[in-house]
Amino acid sequence: MDFSIVQTFIIYILPVYVVAFVLYVIRALKGPTISDQVLAIDAMSYDLAAFLVILSIFFREPILIGTAIVLALWIYALDIYIAKYLEKKEVGE
Amino acid sequence: MLTYEEIMLLITALASVFSVIAVYYAIIEKNLVRAVVFSAIQSTIYAFIYYMFMAPDIVLVYIPVAVGLYPAVILILISKTEKVEKQ
Amino acid sequence: MIEDLLVIIGMIMLGIGAVADLIAAIGLNRFKNFYLRLHAATIGTIWGAFVPLIGASLIAAGSPCLGVYRWFVAGGGLAIAFLVLILAPAGSHALARATHRSGLVRVEPCVVDHLNEDMCVKEG
Repeated sequence: MDFSIVQTFIIYILPVYVVAFVLYVIRALKGPTISDQVLAIDAMSYDLAAFLVILSIFFREPILIGTAIVLALWIYALDIYIAKYLEKKEVGE
Repeated sequence: MLTYEEIMLLITALASVFSVIAVYYAIIEKNLVRAVVFSAIQSTIYAFIYYMFMAPDIVLVYIPVAVGLYPAVILILISKTEKVEKQ
Repeated sequence: MIEDLLVIIGMIMLGIGAVADLIAAIGLNRFKNFYLRLHAATIGTIWGAFVPLIGASLIAAGSPCLGVYRWFVAGGGLAIAFLVLILAPAGSHALARATHRSGLVRVEPCVVDHLNEDMCVKEG
């Protein structure tokens, strides 16, 4: 199959992803508590990792894929730090 | 009709506008833990902007420092001192 | 033939992921409470990240014009999909547990709460 069909399809589904990211960032900016904000950042980052893989296929540059693994792993670390702080009111020790 | 380079540059411009808003909230916020979370939003958006500018090596270094280590260090510091900024 | 099939299945999965992502973002803005928003976040991580990652791996495996390095994209996509499948529910669960234990958010539409009776807000 011609690869330009895949590229045209990705161009058409790109605005849906962008609107979803804008809504995630709005919830992350105005969330009433810290937990809402961290949950919104969490969901946004996992979707952003998927979006980066899709863009690396669209740009036809496979070397860009290493960034998505790093993003998905370190956002989990942020999640655990904030949960530990909320539960015990301290980090480390 | 827009070419696809212009579409990518428009997405990058939208992301940079939201990063400016996140930095503004991080500066005026009194609760320090929420300020750390706003800083994490800004770091994630900056990682996306570096990716769109085709710099994956900078992204590989920027994410562990700005999303992983920096909030951990600041949270340890906050847990040793006060939680709310005073005038 | 088998490559065309892989690309078509991958494009369908990308479409499902985009729609699920939009639904999750709308739900995250419309729900009233932190514990209700966990539903929308779960849709956004499994249907919105795991499914399009598998689809992207299939597209990369079925496109020979990407060169030899397309197996790099396919394997990396499968690895990220596995990581998201493991890490996202663990992170959400840790966050919900910490929020309930620290008493930040009260359980709003509540029938019974055996962990902490003070957090339960009965209707009416």
